[in-house]
Amino acid sequence: MTENTRELKPPKGVSFWQDGLHRLFRRPIAIVCLIVILLYFFLAAFIYLAEFFHWQIGPAIWSQATGPSYQQPCMQNILGTDIFGQSVLRKMLYGAKISITVAFSASLISIAIGLPLGAVAGYFRGIVDEIVVWIYSTLSSVPYILLILAFAVVLHDKTIAGIKLAGITSVYLAIGLTSWVDLCRLIRGEVIKHKEREYIIAAKSYGCSNSRIIFKHLLPNVFHIVIIIFSLQFVSFIHAEIILSFLGLGEANRPSWGAMINDARIELARGVWWQMVAATVAVFFISLALNIFGDALRDSLDPKLRVQ
Amino acid sequence: MANILSQKDFASRVFYAALAAVVVFIIGCGKRPSQSPSQNVLQHRLQDKVKTLDPADIGDVFSDAVGSEFFELLYGYHYLKRPYEIVPVLAQDMPAISEDGLTYTIKIKKGVLFADDRCFKNGKGRELDAGDFVFAWKRLADIKTLSKNWWIFEDRIVGLDEFREYTKTCKKPQDVNYSCPVEGLYAADDQTLVIKLKRPWPQILFLLTYTPTAPIAKEAVDCYGKDIASHPVGTGAFMLKIWNRGSYIEAVRNPTYRGELYPSEGEPGDREAGLLVDAGKPMPFVDRIIWRIIPEDQPRWLMFERGDIDIIGIPKDNFGQAIASGRELTPKMKERNIKLITILEADTFYIGFNMEHPILGKNKPLRLAISCAFDRKKWIELFYNGRGEIAYGFIPPCMPGYDPNIKQYSKTEYNPEKARRLLAEAEQINGGPLPEFKLTMQGTDTTYHQMGQFLKMALDEIGLKVETEYLDFPTYLEKLRTKELQIYQCGWIADYPDAESFLQTFYSKRAPWPNDICYSNPEYDAVFEQAALMPDCPQRTELYRKAERIVVEDAPGAFLYHRMFYGMYHDWVCNLKINAYRPDGFGYGFSKYYRINVAKRDEYWKKYR
Repeated sequence: MTENTRELKPPKGVSFWQDGLHRLFRRPIAIVCLIVILLYFFLAAFIYLAEFFHWQIGPAIWSQATGPSYQQPCMQNILGTDIFGQSVLRKMLYGAKISITVAFSASLISIAIGLPLGAVAGYFRGIVDEIVVWIYSTLSSVPYILLILAFAVVLHDKTIAGIKLAGITSVYLAIGLTSWVDLCRLIRGEVIKHKEREYIIAAKSYGCSNSRIIFKHLLPNVFHIVIIIFSLQFVSFIHAEIILSFLGLGEANRPSWGAMINDARIELARGVWWQMVAATVAVFFISLALNIFGDALRDSLDPKLRVQ
Repeated sequence: MANILSQKDFASRVFYAALAAVVVFIIGCGKRPSQSPSQNVLQHRLQDKVKTLDPADIGDVFSDAVGSEFFELLYGYHYLKRPYEIVPVLAQDMPAISEDGLTYTIKIKKGVLFADDRCFKNGKGRELDAGDFVFAWKRLADIKTLSKNWWIFEDRIVGLDEFREYTKTCKKPQDVNYSCPVEGLYAADDQTLVIKLKRPWPQILFLLTYTPTAPIAKEAVDCYGKDIASHPVGTGAFMLKIWNRGSYIEAVRNPTYRGELYPSEGEPGDREAGLLVDAGKPMPFVDRIIWRIIPEDQPRWLMFERGDIDIIGIPKDNFGQAIASGRELTPKMKERNIKLITILEADTFYIGFNMEHPILGKNKPLRLAISCAFDRKKWIELFYNGRGEIAYGFIPPCMPGYDPNIKQYSKTEYNPEKARRLLAEAEQINGGPLPEFKLTMQGTDTTYHQMGQFLKMALDEIGLKVETEYLDFPTYLEKLRTKELQIYQCGWIADYPDAESFLQTFYSKRAPWPNDICYSNPEYDAVFEQAALMPDCPQRTELYRKAERIVVEDAPGAFLYHRMFYGMYHDWVCNLKINAYRPDGFGYGFSKYYRINVAKRDEYWKKYR
């Protein structure tokens, strides 16, 4: 046994999750990325609170003009102003709320659909499995962005069960309803593997019901996949929101990074670069942090990678 | 072994066939209107899609601009003379009008041929006759055509309204018998069209210059049916070759066009400006026209700079690149020999209120509050670089009939404090808080989003909740027609040089088109009907002004601005004379006057592409 493999062996009495976190926190870059991600999350939460309690501060009052139209970056407006004299910095910060909300909500919808469908298909197999596989194969055969666009167009401004799908609601519904396929496929595969294991056979021999086996025994053992997929997909959901806003299918009346990039696209011709820079820098940092952190999380939690 | 070989052979054949298919597919995908050097092509641009090329349904500028190149009308405007003078096009001469002003007899030019098309016998276009006008106008009246342009002849021609009633009794479009006589509309012979009016209608001549009154060949309607909107068969100088909806349209010279001559006289200064160089020469001068449909400002601007577009209106974000110190072209533009054109347009843009909406229509303080919320000066500054004038009424300042005192009657002002007071009054009338309204913009690009945001912010500031909606232009027009909109961005560009073109947009019998706000006021209707019977005279002008004041008082719209057109064109476009009524110049039947100096363009392409 080499020195290296001795290091990788889990310490005695340490659970799977403790071991994973231990491995994760040994990566300083991952910790820095986690801090960046948490900053974005805290910012989004802060804006929610500020709006709820009507605090007249920072990004919560983005709509107020803070200078003349298209003011260059200066001491008064660090990132300059837009066509209406609104602070680009405030809009950039507000954009974090929209992106995080969309990505988070879409992730929850995606998990709520993908996780039970994958588990049920993998556990019961037969006709149930065939139907689920048929549905996700059909969905995955359509290019991802086109599918989201189609859903966004259909859901835009629709009223379903008395709830009007306006602004970001239709965006995260569109993303969530179309992006559960990867999770479903992986959970199904993992469940198929686990259902032949001894602990499941033992549970069956004790007469446990199917639902108990699925929810009490199987899902906790495959849940690390959900966390990995969540972290990896989160960034793609942020990108999808930006694309939809850029194309005019997103949030129409509040600042979002996609809408800022869309505005800036035509403003570049008059030398107004600051809105483009602000939005792209904001997207760059969250994307980079989520990608690096997602990879680190996968390396720490995936049993196969741990063995390697 | 032989079997294995044949399998290999088969596989290689399949591989090469697939490869060939991919290559053909890629080449096919890349097919675009091509202009190799020295081609005599006019390159236009359009900001939005063309909805239809059926004159019966043409009502928007883009369809009108393109359709006018294929269809000719009885009359048109002299290309060079100002003020605008009506001249015969398909008519031999000006109409013979009876003493009571009720009967118009119009002689049709001989030898005018429809463009060759498969709808005709042997594919050869036949000669135009007076019956083609009778057919086209009956088609406007036919309820089955669902024409939005029936308003032109509604309650005007003896017997035509009865013909419309008759078409309502027919079950299918094919059941309508077009040979049913109409007392006031018939062809006395092949070359003579007779129109009998119910009452004098001096503006009829203006309407006979408007594309929806173009003659249509019955053969084309029979042949193409509902698809006639994609098959314009007219007598114009050009024929449709390709219509790739959403990307480009291509027209080619009509080989059987009679070769109308370029005008030999204009207004003072035209000769010095080089506008009479081609005097007396047969038109058209170009072989092809291409309209590129480019909704976004930046690609349009870059294509103009590359020389792929000949004429352009200056986008707001490129104004600084084009114009220096507010008036002159920048050195870069001058170096490229680009020319500047400016003119105050005959148009009015406003925020319309659906007057049939149960709250908006009955709540004048609400409408006034909305009107007071908009800072028009800032709007013109932000979106038009200060190019434009605040609208105090609906008749543009460049039109005959404009009221110089309209400002003192106008409700146009920016006063948020007053707007809030009016809104409180509106809530009292409503008996409680006002609901959220929908504000609809007539475009989906970034500038429309910014405009929508501007309007929403202004209304938020006075405490009125609105939700913005962005529609592409054809959808917007359709929703206007079905009265689905509440508060919306709209505008009107004069169809002819008479303020009546604007007045009819508020006449109750013209709802929902062109009176898309569905405004109805018996006092206004009475003034309009009285003015409509009168020839151009000071009394009629006074009536126009009275009518405008009635509308301004009722505030069925928040009048915003009149545009100032700032455009540019490359110096290889010859004979371009700007028209206040059609400043964009991307069609409207003007293309036959333009000549392209191909050598100059080739030189530009070599230098700047």
